[in-house]
Amino acid sequence: MSPDSQNADPGPLSGYRVLDFGWVLAGAIPGMILADMGAEVMKVETRQRMDYMRLGRPIIGDEPDPEQHPMFHNVNRGKLSITLNTTKPDAIHLIKGLVTHCDVLIENFSPGVMERLGLDYSVISGIKPEIVMASISSNGQTGSLRDLRAYAPSIGALAGLDSTMGYEGERPLGLKHAYADIAGALHSVFAIVSALHQRKRTGRGQYIDVSMLRATVATMGAGLMEYEMTGRVMKPKGNYDPVMAPYGNYPCSGDDAWVSIAVRTEEEWLGLKEAMGHPPWCDDEEFASPYSRLANRHNLDERLSGWTRERDAWEITENLQAHGVAAIPVMGAEDRLFNPHFQERGLYSDIDHPSLGAEPIYNLMWNLSRTPPSIRRHAPLMGEHNRQIFGGLLGMSDEDISRLEEEQVLW
Amino acid sequence: MTYPLLQGLRVVELGESISAPYCAKLLADMGAEVVKIERPGVGDQSREYGPFLDDQPHHERSGLFLYLNTNKQGVTLDLGTPTGQEIFGGMLAQSDIFVHNLPPPEMDRLGVDYDNLRAHNDQLVMASITPFGLTGPYRNYKAYDINLAAAGGICEGLGSPGREPLTFGTPEVGYFAGMAAASSIVIAVLAGGGQHIDIAEVEAMAGLYNGPEALMAVYQWRITRRTGHHALDFPYPNCILRCKDGYIFVGSPEGRQWRKLLEIMGDPDWAKEPRFRNRTTMNNEYADEVDGYVEEWLMRHTKAELLAVALEHRVPLAPVRGFDEVRTDESLADQFAAVDRRDTGPISYPGPPYNLIGPGLARQENTAPLPAPFLGQHNADIYCGRLGYTKEELVKLYQTGII
Repeated sequence: MSPDSQNADPGPLSGYRVLDFGWVLAGAIPGMILADMGAEVMKVETRQRMDYMRLGRPIIGDEPDPEQHPMFHNVNRGKLSITLNTTKPDAIHLIKGLVTHCDVLIENFSPGVMERLGLDYSVISGIKPEIVMASISSNGQTGSLRDLRAYAPSIGALAGLDSTMGYEGERPLGLKHAYADIAGALHSVFAIVSALHQRKRTGRGQYIDVSMLRATVATMGAGLMEYEMTGRVMKPKGNYDPVMAPYGNYPCSGDDAWVSIAVRTEEEWLGLKEAMGHPPWCDDEEFASPYSRLANRHNLDERLSGWTRERDAWEITENLQAHGVAAIPVMGAEDRLFNPHFQERGLYSDIDHPSLGAEPIYNLMWNLSRTPPSIRRHAPLMGEHNRQIFGGLLGMSDEDISRLEEEQVLW
Repeated sequence: MTYPLLQGLRVVELGESISAPYCAKLLADMGAEVVKIERPGVGDQSREYGPFLDDQPHHERSGLFLYLNTNKQGVTLDLGTPTGQEIFGGMLAQSDIFVHNLPPPEMDRLGVDYDNLRAHNDQLVMASITPFGLTGPYRNYKAYDINLAAAGGICEGLGSPGREPLTFGTPEVGYFAGMAAASSIVIAVLAGGGQHIDIAEVEAMAGLYNGPEALMAVYQWRITRRTGHHALDFPYPNCILRCKDGYIFVGSPEGRQWRKLLEIMGDPDWAKEPRFRNRTTMNNEYADEVDGYVEEWLMRHTKAELLAVALEHRVPLAPVRGFDEVRTDESLADQFAAVDRRDTGPISYPGPPYNLIGPGLARQENTAPLPAPFLGQHNADIYCGRLGYTKEELVKLYQTGII
């Protein structure tokens, strides 16, 4: 996709304008989603303290370059960028001017920062009562953990998520992914669009305080209910499900190749036996019922591994699926990039970026039939839209903009 | 806690397990009116999942079901019958939203497709949550949580070298699909309704979750590999280590945080060795050795003491908490609401992860959640009260197995 051919169809949220102070992941992703849905999202950033996602080693050359970070490109595509140095009073004044033109404000600074800048909700709602403002933080705007320095893995630890992540009877390994960022970002988007719905009906604005810890806790249904209902505290159990066996990732032929297999019903077990060509061990008494398969799951895993080890992961997948058994290989990013299913569904788009050329960017696969989301432009260069926004939206003259650039207000 | 932001929206859910039920729960907790359809006599399969109160198995006492279905009304209906289909059509005609997670072959069998259903209501927003989506070669593939995690990029990097890749300790993928569907639904309503939304669980995981990481992989920047409790290519420390009474996450993405940690540890000599100057090298090449040095200090302190250190010195230490510790964390107490229900008595469930405040800084009004429905609890309310069937017809519908 070249920049001029990028989708210009109005999205379902076209007409909404977002002032986006979100950064890194949890704060940046909601704006990315709203932009893919057609909202005009203005990312507010500053050279004074760059978005971490702009830092890191360059892809081309040896000099640090804020325009070369692939993660930044992914989670900020579709946005416009303006630079405002909030250590300057003039910048705060300009932000207040922008607020009057916006429907949504997103921020994920540490709790207390917006207040220090004089931009907390009481000020913002004074300027524009009907605005929807979302503050996304690790542990919420109130409470004893509010000021804890926490990142996604910290929150995975605090929420109980990591306590079950590991091999059976061994130490918790923890989840390496940014689970809490995504859980926080997605709950935030839901609350923001719900507030926009309310506003459309009643005219009422809303402040939303989203905690990534609480968002992660909300997804811990099975573990929390185990404690609530039985008093037991879950520990790492490897690949385990309370009602399914086999349930795991099984070794396949080739280098570090694995296939996931899960069997829940008797019908699926019969399908698995059929697919394997009825090896005699299947009829051992220890595997005769779902109950005995669960009780003897380690033996079952060993037997099944003996069969999968000789075979290709995709061959197993096609065979098992043809027999009504849930199976799919363990896939990495490149496996998905070249996979016919995901290619047909358009999981990636090639988006041209001025500094790095065409890059495969994951689409937001929230497929609305009439108004689908789309990537409307590449991630912005730092301050790329200063003239467009401060000139166009706030009506400032070119000279004023240049002066503020020189004074490092637009910086 | 139930907020009124989506008050007035009517939702029909035909959901089992996690994805569609969590989607409808999000909508219900924001004030939408949700009617959940279950199979007569059987119900949602999560009724059998447990955990069961005091280990007494019963389909009205399954913790996962009760959590995911608070604030909903429940009816039973057999969609495999023409009468069932007619009743279903009548419900959709009076609703704004329909969300389901029938697998595509079941959708085909029951005629649950958008073109059919919009005949009842052309403003209907319908969301289909399926494992691999409604199009593409894997449309009819079956998948459970581990399969979705495997294809969605979760397992690839979880576990130790040479050992089997791991998945989540508890089923989680459905929550992400549910969140994607719930937001998509409200966005479709904002855009005027009348749309069909296709959410693939595997893509809800892969796209958002691994999207950024994937692009890193394209540039061979950060490679996802199974490296036990360490993650490759991060500055050390970024891992879970042992402490006196359990485990603690130790991180320090910023240099000053690491310097502060060393200072708290008493500026140990090992840290002065030149090979520990570059923290990414330290992580990739000497992590196990350094773990030993750091654990020597950590083993002298409890999780609670280390959390106090973290708060005092603003360093990223976080206890690995069991679900008992999460549940008894005072700072999270108001996220949990006790819901009284016949059969279980009061049980506390996690509520929405947001606090809402309106203009004038008034806390957004909210109400206590209603318990999950008993199987078919609201049949009379919905079929007679809303759709106009008589009591006699209701009995006949029950006797013929339709409801």
